[in-house]
Amino acid sequence: MNILRRRGWELPERLVTPEHVFLNRRAFLAAGTGIAALAVAGRARAETDPSASLYPASVNPAFKDAGRDVTPFEINSTYNNYYEFNTSKRIYEQAEALPIRPWSVVIDGEVEKPVTIAIDDLLKRMTLEERVYRHRCVEAWSMVVPWTGFALSEFVSLAKPLASAKFVRFETFNLPDVAAGQKPGLFSSMPWPYVEGVTIAEAGNELPFMVTGAYGKPLPKSMGAPLRLHLPWKYGFKSIKGIVRVSFTSERPIGFWEQLQASEYGFWANVNPEVAHPRWSQASERVLGTDEQIPTQLFNGYGEYVAALYAGMEKEPLYM
Amino acid sequence: MYPWTDRSGRFSALKSAVFAGLFLPLLWLIWRWRTGDLGPLPIDEATLESGRWTVRMIVITLAITPLQRIFGWGRLALVRRQVGLAAMGYALLHLSLYVADQKFDLGRVASEIALRLYLTIGFAAVFGLVVLGVTSTNAAVRYLGRWWKPLHRVAYAIAGLGILHFFMQSKIDATQAALMMGFFILVMLYRVPNAARLRSVWTLAGIAIMAAFLTAGLEATWYGAATGIKPLAVLQANLLFPGVIRPAWVVLGTGLAVALLWFGQRTWAAQKRQLQAAA
Repeated sequence: MNILRRRGWELPERLVTPEHVFLNRRAFLAAGTGIAALAVAGRARAETDPSASLYPASVNPAFKDAGRDVTPFEINSTYNNYYEFNTSKRIYEQAEALPIRPWSVVIDGEVEKPVTIAIDDLLKRMTLEERVYRHRCVEAWSMVVPWTGFALSEFVSLAKPLASAKFVRFETFNLPDVAAGQKPGLFSSMPWPYVEGVTIAEAGNELPFMVTGAYGKPLPKSMGAPLRLHLPWKYGFKSIKGIVRVSFTSERPIGFWEQLQASEYGFWANVNPEVAHPRWSQASERVLGTDEQIPTQLFNGYGEYVAALYAGMEKEPLYM
Repeated sequence: MYPWTDRSGRFSALKSAVFAGLFLPLLWLIWRWRTGDLGPLPIDEATLESGRWTVRMIVITLAITPLQRIFGWGRLALVRRQVGLAAMGYALLHLSLYVADQKFDLGRVASEIALRLYLTIGFAAVFGLVVLGVTSTNAAVRYLGRWWKPLHRVAYAIAGLGILHFFMQSKIDATQAALMMGFFILVMLYRVPNAARLRSVWTLAGIAIMAAFLTAGLEATWYGAATGIKPLAVLQANLLFPGVIRPAWVVLGTGLAVALLWFGQRTWAAQKRQLQAAA
């Protein structure tokens, strides 16, 4: 029997970006300042990044199309929430100060053997592939990003967690000398380093992606180089950047935003248009690079992959 | 009376300059829009920016009377109305941009204003500014007679609501809101003593110090009440050197600068009198 199952990225023709919007966007970008400089910085990075030869990686056919236009690189790399640098969206200049080589990742907690692995050794041991994912920020805007990286499940297999491991906890750098947001001041009283987590069941799902590149190149620093997570069915703040430590724990980790504003940002943070943020509706999202406002989908349209993870968990605040 | 003439109909350089200056934030915003500097969500960024300017204009309006009393600058009275009207203008722009960001879906705008407390508060402040704006004409002043003044004292409440809205919409960083609160406290404290007492270095410096402490205390209270940041850590952040200059210090510096300026003005005037007496 041939069962036709509509995949999340299959959207009707009416949602395709009209050509005039697409062209306008190009005009808008051409007018942008600082973009030429960024392109130069991007080229310099591609030349010096020791992993540059690994890109572009082959595209995973299941995720070759997110049903919407890919957001232009110029927007994606210059419009970022990265509070380590500052609380505005424009952090890309400051983020360039982050040293990403040498860079190593600590794997510890409930694992057979804690290890520290250099990023380039990690890249050699993982299979890099490209996946185009939709990204939905809790602030009701969205992008489409062609990520390169490896499945979190592959990384979990490498780490060899014990049966007692129930959660995976990710941690970002804490470098007050480099990142202005972590310097002494009001924001040094924030709970640095940035922490996020998922359940071990979520980590074993096929969607969670450990990202090392984007747009067929090594990841720009503004987007979380050299290693970040992307969880396309959750609000963006769950997708931690600049990872330096992955710990397997028996206790549920408490994320950075959950520590700061537990009434607004929770552990699960699954996208749901029906459940409003306390201060705004999540029913729709503004698509960066277009003038469009489109309806938000449950689990950001990835329900067929992840809805089963939450069966029987209706009492949990799954959407906050 | 035109925006560039005084009550007797003569051209006023002060009033004209202030009138032109009130448009600068708008021109700056348009320029940023045209050059793409507002980023990929320009309406969103323009909404935030026009809101910031609304609060700044309200605080500037409320600073005019105390500055007039401290320095004896009677001519400042000429510009108070137009700065107040600019606050209303930026507030209406702010609300219009919000409506545009909601794709002009007025039903949704209304339900969001009703559902989200910070929007209800912000809307009340915009409504208040419009009421004060339309009752600011000479005809309205005459018509309202002795009721005009009590009605326009609502401006203090509007400032409070606007600043509260500013705090409530911050994702976590309420530095700008705290700064505006600090200036509001400062200009309100200047209203407490009578004119004779106010014109003293010690009163002015005392007010500056009091405003700085209130700013630091209320800022810490906000973070403690509304966020997971520990209030004590916020207070301590004021004492980290070198660090970012925190709102309480900016308020203290502004208040002390006013005290020093007043002292300088008085000393200069006294010397001039002496010289004239000697001549």
